[in-house]
Amino acid sequence: MTQNGGAPKDTQVGLTLNGRELKVEKDRLLIDVAEEVGIFVPRFCYHPGMKSVAVCRMCLVKVEGSPKLLPACATPVTDGMVVDTVDETAVDAQRGMLEFLLINHPLDCPICDRAGECPLQDQTYAHGPGSTRYVEPKRTYEKALEISELVVLDRERCVLCWRCVRFADEIAGDRFIQLVDRGPGTQILTFSDEPFDSYFSGNTIQICPVGALTSKPYRFVSRPWDLQTAPSVCTYCSVGCPLTNESRDEKIVRCQALPNENVNDFWLCDKGRYGYHHVESAERLGSPLVRSGKEFEPASWGAAVDKIVSAIKDKRRIGVIAGGHLTTEDAYAIGKLAKKVLETKDVDSRIQDAGAPYERALALGGIAGSTATLNDVEGAPEILWVGPDPKETLPVLYLRLRKAVNDGGARLTVVSPRATSLDVIAAKVVRCEAGGEGRALREIDDLGDDAVVCWGQSSPGRDETDAFDAAVAASQASGGKLLVCVPHAGSQGMLDMGVHPGLDAGYVEVAEPGRDTRAILEAAAAGELDALFLFGADPIADFPDAGLARRALEKGIFTVAVELFPTQSAMRADVVLPSAAYAEREGTFTNLERRVQKLERLVAPPGTAQEPWKTCAAIAGALGDAWGWARCDDVWDDIRRNVPTHKDLDLALLTQEAPAHAPFYESAFGDVQTHTMDPPALTVAGPGGQYPKGYRSGAPFQTGQNWPLSWELRAFEAKQRPGVIPHPNGSANGHGAAPAGAPDAPDAAPRAAEGGDDFVLLSGRLIYDEGSMVSRSKALGNIASGGYAELNPGDAADLEVSAGDRVVLRGAGAEVTLPVRIGDIAKGAVYVPYDQRDVKANTLMSGVDSRVGVAKA
Amino acid sequence: MSPVSGRPRGEVRIVTRRMREYPEDSWTLSRALDDGGYEASRKVVTQMTADDTIELVKSSGLRGRGGAGFPTGMKWSFVPKDVFPKYVVINHDEGEPGTFKDRELAELDPHALIEGITIACWANQANKAFIYCRGEFALGSRRMDRAIREAYEKGFLGDGIYGSKFDLDIILHRGAGAYICGEESALLDSLEGFRGQPRLRPPYPAVKGLYAQPTVVNNTETLMALPAIIDKGADWYRKWGTEKSPGTKVFSVSGHVKEPGNYEAPLAMPLSEVLELAGGMRDGSEFKAVIPGGASAPLLTDLSVPMDFESLKDAGTMLGSGAIVFMDQTTCMVRNALVTTEFFEHESCGKCTPCREGTWWGVKVLERIEHGEGRPEDMDLLLDICDGIDGRAFCPLGDAASWALRSNVKLFRDEFEAHVSEGRCIFDGEHKQLVGARARGDEMEGGS
Repeated sequence: MTQNGGAPKDTQVGLTLNGRELKVEKDRLLIDVAEEVGIFVPRFCYHPGMKSVAVCRMCLVKVEGSPKLLPACATPVTDGMVVDTVDETAVDAQRGMLEFLLINHPLDCPICDRAGECPLQDQTYAHGPGSTRYVEPKRTYEKALEISELVVLDRERCVLCWRCVRFADEIAGDRFIQLVDRGPGTQILTFSDEPFDSYFSGNTIQICPVGALTSKPYRFVSRPWDLQTAPSVCTYCSVGCPLTNESRDEKIVRCQALPNENVNDFWLCDKGRYGYHHVESAERLGSPLVRSGKEFEPASWGAAVDKIVSAIKDKRRIGVIAGGHLTTEDAYAIGKLAKKVLETKDVDSRIQDAGAPYERALALGGIAGSTATLNDVEGAPEILWVGPDPKETLPVLYLRLRKAVNDGGARLTVVSPRATSLDVIAAKVVRCEAGGEGRALREIDDLGDDAVVCWGQSSPGRDETDAFDAAVAASQASGGKLLVCVPHAGSQGMLDMGVHPGLDAGYVEVAEPGRDTRAILEAAAAGELDALFLFGADPIADFPDAGLARRALEKGIFTVAVELFPTQSAMRADVVLPSAAYAEREGTFTNLERRVQKLERLVAPPGTAQEPWKTCAAIAGALGDAWGWARCDDVWDDIRRNVPTHKDLDLALLTQEAPAHAPFYESAFGDVQTHTMDPPALTVAGPGGQYPKGYRSGAPFQTGQNWPLSWELRAFEAKQRPGVIPHPNGSANGHGAAPAGAPDAPDAAPRAAEGGDDFVLLSGRLIYDEGSMVSRSKALGNIASGGYAELNPGDAADLEVSAGDRVVLRGAGAEVTLPVRIGDIAKGAVYVPYDQRDVKANTLMSGVDSRVGVAKA
Repeated sequence: MSPVSGRPRGEVRIVTRRMREYPEDSWTLSRALDDGGYEASRKVVTQMTADDTIELVKSSGLRGRGGAGFPTGMKWSFVPKDVFPKYVVINHDEGEPGTFKDRELAELDPHALIEGITIACWANQANKAFIYCRGEFALGSRRMDRAIREAYEKGFLGDGIYGSKFDLDIILHRGAGAYICGEESALLDSLEGFRGQPRLRPPYPAVKGLYAQPTVVNNTETLMALPAIIDKGADWYRKWGTEKSPGTKVFSVSGHVKEPGNYEAPLAMPLSEVLELAGGMRDGSEFKAVIPGGASAPLLTDLSVPMDFESLKDAGTMLGSGAIVFMDQTTCMVRNALVTTEFFEHESCGKCTPCREGTWWGVKVLERIEHGEGRPEDMDLLLDICDGIDGRAFCPLGDAASWALRSNVKLFRDEFEAHVSEGRCIFDGEHKQLVGARARGDEMEGGS
């Protein structure tokens, strides 16, 4: 390569690529630079989300001055470089590599799930030889090894690109899948008897460039060209990973990550990827139900709404509780119904996170939520984490934190009363006492400038105002930003849209806050309410005082539940209205960084189930307030007119029907396209390939023609759908520190008082639990680990128990026996996972900051 | 019979001097001390600067004896001066078929190796050296282990060696049996406890090597030449060899010769004279072909080629590790190609496609030809497979496999074609006795 004399003045370098003069950022990889200008260099091992290894040798290109061909995936651009990707020697090498990869490939495409979207197949169809010169027996392995509950491995199909191994090692940090043996006997395997039990295992299937790793739930279910696809957003946690749902015959059969470097990079957790079966669950509600005595009877929507209207007309003592999995539009409708139509201020959306003091973040910049984006976290020099274990609760955020530390060199400090998955990558771990997070945060004196402080609720049912205030103060002191980790996909939307006793939509603080969730339930239990509305809310399962929730719902107050499933709470209501699930509807989710992203409808809801915003509008209409909403866009227009933070947020930005430019690729093979910088009017993808028309709405992918792999198409599409972060209305809120809706005084709550009441009860969700959606997603059904009681080794010794022994926990009048785990947890605390099949931790809780008795069973 | 019985004509003993002169106890500390051992290393540490040491080695023209022949002094000068810690790693993972020089050198003169290591560490200001010893070298590793302990006791290793302020530790590490770990970056990965597979370069080991620190990787024989160079000077060393390939080289001579063994001779000695060092071809043997530089090196049929880096390169092959395998008229070149390619297939790390699949395919085709199932198009197919690997593999292992195979097919195409046309191995009848086990296709170990 020819090097220009002096170093370039700026960070740009000039190179010649297939005869074109280009100016690009220096040190970028040739393969990326080429792709950006529409030159596709074939590849198997290279993946933009991981470090290059240059093992498949498919992307060899000619670089002037280099005696050998160079792998484009591992060659940074340098000034004066002259590159030819379609040089005869490069094409010959690429053809040769394809032939090598095929000699031992079983060519079982007719029974391979990957066929139709397989890079190896595509490249072979387009450019490979029609027959083989290899006449000897192929290498064989035992086929279809189930290496986990979700992943099936076929080593014969493997091209040993290492993508799965690199993902597991580099990205997820779960080194459960590895290269074994060497030479032609090299194979991908798990370690002896250990399964591939990673929370992120599904990603390896999506990035596998052949059918070596396939998905157990999707095996032999469909051909990719028979799939309808629609972009959506994960409905579980608040990271809000973009994904595509894919259906066949009106049934969702697969879900894949929609890469977006702002949010999820290229990844999903397995809960997000496999948690879609709840949509088709037989338990789904398909018709309104109206109570008649002890039984429910199906009713028409008209009859159900009439029943509600007659029950609440002229009643003003109404409580409204919304769950965390509803869309921003639902949130707006719920807030509007409650505050404008029902004229109540007793509205809240915090259930598991009851009392979480999000509004105290207003002091930082007028936002009840994060001032940091996920990109800010990844680029931060310092990160301070105080909150739950993100690997369990916010899995893809965990991946981005790992990236921030491992690639970005961020210095991570973790403050927690209990070991978290972050500890191993943290520069500093502060093991505070239970409830001592705030003090521990204030004692940290080595936090540098521009730190991103991440706060999440460590344990349901605890007053974490002190920790929150300390986190806000720490971020202020460091001149950095704050990431507020709300729990669920819809939680931030609820805060933004004013489903909060102290905030109206757009973070407008109200003078006299209403009741929060705990107060609403207490009022209900005391018979001080006329009616209770539950929107996607199951307080008996989720509220950190199951007894109180049960008393509230069994008091006989007129209760309306809008739900997907007959939950414990819904079955105690008077009217149950069916809701559409996330894949059955349009709308937006607002994630924890307040990015608004669009869901699109793929399948039809069961029966007459509908979006909760429609239900709100119907109830409002019946009460005499017609909102005139017919489509999701109407709700959004209303939001833009009335919510100051969202007034500039054009939904069209999120709903681009098709990319402005589909990628236009030239490559070394086949019909080499004429060199041009401007994409032609009829866009093509890959050599001679038709860009799959209507690929988003479900028309088939073009087998053997579109070189850019399906995930690459999606990456391209994601660039068109980045999501939008609304600007807070600077003038709408001062920097007043006075929080609205302050939580109840902790000492007001009754304490469990049964013998040995001496342990602080810590809880928190594991990735797989008894949540109403995940527990009905059959692919994940066998994975949940079940309950346990985690104790400090010293406490365990005092109790004379060791790992595996059983202990009895007594609290809130309930008693449960659990196996003991010894862990790195603060002394005097016991951890019980939230909402597991064999133990509902919230049944042991009463009031704030519950304590439990622990004794040897 | 024994090569130590008397000095063959033309042999020059620099690296092998002590072991040839005192075969009964050359590996002991007392012999080393009586013989002037540790004087050169004492001299550099107490009297020379690191830069002077590098300059001296540079001017001697010493080139790496492991195979690549990279100038040693220049390699050292690439190491950043201001980054610490630095490491010196000794590549004692001698695995090239036909090569057995480092094994004998370390077994018979481990103290000279320690001395060479000390000089390299001083020149690079590295306080730690790692000897990566091939796992099979039991005797050598025991003797090195003992020699290292003795050197510590004498104050030649450890804190403040020779009374200076320079600390030096040597750690002896035994490999686990992979040829690829002789490739320096795979060696470093293996040393760090990972799968032994070559690393992507850049960064080069000189900048980011062992534990991501600047690292010099040198071959055993290279380091053992240092004490004499320090002692007698660069000009003295340049008395032998050529301008570009100065000094002597230990040749491992094997095959159908009378006295196989290690012979140290000046570089640029013609192959025919090296053959004479080993007593010439066996009685009844006619020279047919020679592998001049280990199994990786393409074959030669011309004995007049001088054994130095440039001449061998011009002849289309390479000096490599200096392992010379002479073959006579009984050798089936198809079987030679098969055995060699099987070796590379077995030792391919499996990282890159062309080496992993190409060696597999090559073996399959060669097996067919050898067993009488060859097709006329197979020779071109073999050459295509070689072209598919050469220059496209991740590391030189794949390239080497293709060079060896290609030269067999090209030089002895008629033999390959005879196998195909006769539908059998043409050596099976006539020389069955001589060929023995190999003709029956029994499993055999690499190396002669």
